[in-house]
Amino acid sequence: MAFRLDLKRITICNLLRNQNKFLRHFGSQTNDNSGRASNKDGSTVNTPSKEVVTPFPPLTEPLKDLPEVQYASLRTEPEETRVTTLSNGLRVASENRFGQFCTIGVVIDSGPRYEVAYPSGVSHFLEKLAFNSTLEYPEKDIIMRELEKHGGICDCQSSRDTFIYAASADSRGLDQVTKVLAEVVMRPQLKVEEVDMARQSVLFELESLHMRPEQEPLLMDMIHAAAYRDNTLGLPKLCPPINAPKIDRNLLLTYLKHHHTPQRMVVAGVGVNHDDFVKSVEKHFVEKQATWEIEQIKNRGANSIDSSIAQYTGGTKTEECEIPIYASVGLPELAHVVIGLEGCSHQDEDFIAACVLNIMMGGGGSFSAGGPGKGMYTRLYTNVLNRYHWMYSATAYNHAYMDSGLFCIHASAPPTHVRGMIEVITKELVNMATAPNGIELKRAKTQLQSMLLMNLESRPVVFEDIGRQVLANGTRKKTQHFIESIERIQPEDIQRVARRFLSSSPSLAARGQIQGLPTIKDIQSGILQNGVLPGKRLTLFR
Amino acid sequence: MASRILKITSSLRALPKAGTLQRLKSTNAADFARALVNVPPTTVTTLDNGLRVATEDSGAATATVGLWIDAGSRYENANNNGVAHFLEHMAFKGTAKRSQTDLELEVENMGAHLNAYTSREQTVFYAKCLSKDVPKAVEILGDIIQNSKLGESEIERERSVILREMQEVESNLQEVVFDHLHATAYQGTPLGNTILGPTKNIKSITRQDLKDYIDAHYHTPRIVLSAAGGVNHNELVKLAEKELSKLKNTFDGKPPQLSPCRFTGSEVRVRDDSIPLAHIAIAVEGCGWTDQDNVPLMVANTLIGSWDRSQGAGVNNASQLARHSAEDSLCHSFQSFNTCYKDTGLWGIYFVCEPMQCEDMLFNVQSEWMRLCTMVTEFEVERAKNLLKTNMLLQLDGTTPICEDIGRQMLCYNRRIPLHELEKRIDNVTAENVRDVCMKYIYDRCPAVAAVGPVENLPDYVRIRSSMYWLRV
Repeated sequence: MAFRLDLKRITICNLLRNQNKFLRHFGSQTNDNSGRASNKDGSTVNTPSKEVVTPFPPLTEPLKDLPEVQYASLRTEPEETRVTTLSNGLRVASENRFGQFCTIGVVIDSGPRYEVAYPSGVSHFLEKLAFNSTLEYPEKDIIMRELEKHGGICDCQSSRDTFIYAASADSRGLDQVTKVLAEVVMRPQLKVEEVDMARQSVLFELESLHMRPEQEPLLMDMIHAAAYRDNTLGLPKLCPPINAPKIDRNLLLTYLKHHHTPQRMVVAGVGVNHDDFVKSVEKHFVEKQATWEIEQIKNRGANSIDSSIAQYTGGTKTEECEIPIYASVGLPELAHVVIGLEGCSHQDEDFIAACVLNIMMGGGGSFSAGGPGKGMYTRLYTNVLNRYHWMYSATAYNHAYMDSGLFCIHASAPPTHVRGMIEVITKELVNMATAPNGIELKRAKTQLQSMLLMNLESRPVVFEDIGRQVLANGTRKKTQHFIESIERIQPEDIQRVARRFLSSSPSLAARGQIQGLPTIKDIQSGILQNGVLPGKRLTLFR
Repeated sequence: MASRILKITSSLRALPKAGTLQRLKSTNAADFARALVNVPPTTVTTLDNGLRVATEDSGAATATVGLWIDAGSRYENANNNGVAHFLEHMAFKGTAKRSQTDLELEVENMGAHLNAYTSREQTVFYAKCLSKDVPKAVEILGDIIQNSKLGESEIERERSVILREMQEVESNLQEVVFDHLHATAYQGTPLGNTILGPTKNIKSITRQDLKDYIDAHYHTPRIVLSAAGGVNHNELVKLAEKELSKLKNTFDGKPPQLSPCRFTGSEVRVRDDSIPLAHIAIAVEGCGWTDQDNVPLMVANTLIGSWDRSQGAGVNNASQLARHSAEDSLCHSFQSFNTCYKDTGLWGIYFVCEPMQCEDMLFNVQSEWMRLCTMVTEFEVERAKNLLKTNMLLQLDGTTPICEDIGRQMLCYNRRIPLHELEKRIDNVTAENVRDVCMKYIYDRCPAVAAVGPVENLPDYVRIRSSMYWLRV
């Protein structure tokens, strides 16, 4: 590596620092410009002047003429989520909460899983196009200014089966912020220039994803593609580069017309008064027409919604390529693999047990910051990362959707250990079916409970939770319900779920220098034969 | 399960957390001038031994509790640079009554998180746990800072861990650039040192060095026990009296004198054409935490803002620099910063650009700075003030950010600035005020520059310096 070190330090004046800086007093109006290099007396000392320019005392001292303050008193309201269904089928769900700020947003049953009749990437484009010009607000800037007025920020994200548009703002701006959201969701203009900008953003994002050593977004698309071959959840979330030119305004509007309909939406709010909120939503979401209702859209793509149930197929998706390395010296190039099994949906009675199993497997990077509490005694740490020094990372994921789920383990190691890595992970997967010991299970349950409560500290998380639950079930279960369900999980539940997962055919995704990667068949027979892959002998101890 | 939506972007979060604020509930103007702040108050008690306990009790099911210590790499010298950070590592390696495994298992079994970090001026140990476990958490925190075993074999083992951490830091070019920026801006002073310390020290720090550092700095007047979430103030005070009683108030010797750190306008370039993009930071000397000028400087900093090219629609961005960057593809990303220390600070910008864009990008940055000093408008300032308030407010979501805010403010200001006061301070900033403050700290000042990567195209220092003023004004 050509490495030229050109260390040059120039010191310009400023060697003498005015020690009197501390003596800057509020109120003493000195008007000397003494700091400037070009100051009157010709001094070359370049320190900030002592001029008082801000007419306040230092931050250590309180302001004098402040009004008397009244703080909120401590109160723990019983959480209650109220749901109202409007005339057009739109559901409004909200929960009042302590604090001056609210988070409101729209959760939509839409996303890449419905893109089978469209070029993949529609959702990726829509995510980038969120909060652009609408019929009422001719420019993005005006929307931003409207939100800024109420101290607001906004965001749009899509997962495989859900689209979320949300904003956090001062509760007193509720009506205006609801209006902004209604405009953004129902009446976007999708100007040709904006679509072009979105295309550029999508391409930039794809480019930088390939320049980064972190591989999760790419691998998660690959493992889903392997697990649900050519259907629903297997469709890519990231726009394939060749589709970027194909996606245009008309196509996007066709998609929106069919998928972003009131029946498929929940408008959710946290920290709002339900009745006021319903009134605002009625006014802005129901009474006005959507862009695609006003305009005549030439239908492209399908005329209906893809309502097929996710078909888990299992399979392989690999890409032999170079993985960017971390810029520092000493860290090797890594090969990444993900092994997946058919998991369960969030509607499944085994869902809670699957979450506990996920926490019990845990894992993370072999070298990561943070003290105790990050899951140091989960199985992927104790059985894998602490035992095999060449493993760089091993993490368990439990993806749950409406009608299916994917349980997987992502691992990375230098290319020389690709086979070893698959062997170790397969063995751990098989190992899931043995009964967990009491302490281990108790720990996983406590960690899941505290993780749930800690996540719900944050208002946007509560919003998302309300939106998703109401979208899926029409109501929101209380947090206490989940805490209790977790408490009831027994070792047999874990074993039953693990056996169920292991009975599916595995999926495999891999990226990097992956010569010597065992085939999916090898992994399958490995799972059947107690974790031992056929062919070459187990080579864990070299 | 964890959600990413509506998290303030990391660049915004990097804004100095100079405090918290909440909008006043505006009653009728003629009404009683009484501010309604819709958060629980922060209660502070100073114990007999000098330790300060500060809490904000929201009655939540979870809580964060931690020790904020006024000690960091700034209190080190060339020979022991790295000690503060080494200590942070040793904290989790066992105490007189708990082995490392006991400690880890205890925390893991509670479903709690134990964390620690060291900055140039502060060392922090905190725990996040269920509210019912707060007493246990305080006991553990007390144990690790008072009875840390500092075992020789653990020290030996930790050296390689820290060296590996150093590798990780070096792989993050932003961190590398900021370390270089401090090294050049504060050359010859302790603020110029890195937090991790040089390899030589990491390899040679002894148990005695660690003990000396604790003896010199871990004294109650310099420690704050801060908590937020489901915590009762009086109970926490009792817990503190019980679990932190070993901490001493008096200094054995003299309290360490904090010497002022001199800022030097200067530069460091590490040219390496094998890196694809140029990473550059440029900063002037700002002010310390407590200075009243800090608020307008933060407004100015928000006005420059931050941007990266995946945001795309920068053309509509509030920040002019973001607009230019998007229109003319000047850079991949930029981020304005205002890093504060006790008596000094760095106010500047960090950007990442294509090798041949260094000069163009820098030209635009400096033009924008000069515009700030001379003709920034009321409209832009209003907008930046709103954004600043939003960023500060929205980041106070959850027990950990609130606890951090309390701890840091107690150390910096010896009080927690009430939200309505901070709001008033921000509301009072005018365009003229921003121009005055920028004139004072930016105009015609010598900047510190740090550049890493293919930086051939970056103008030489004298040219950079000469763009810090305009001859036409």
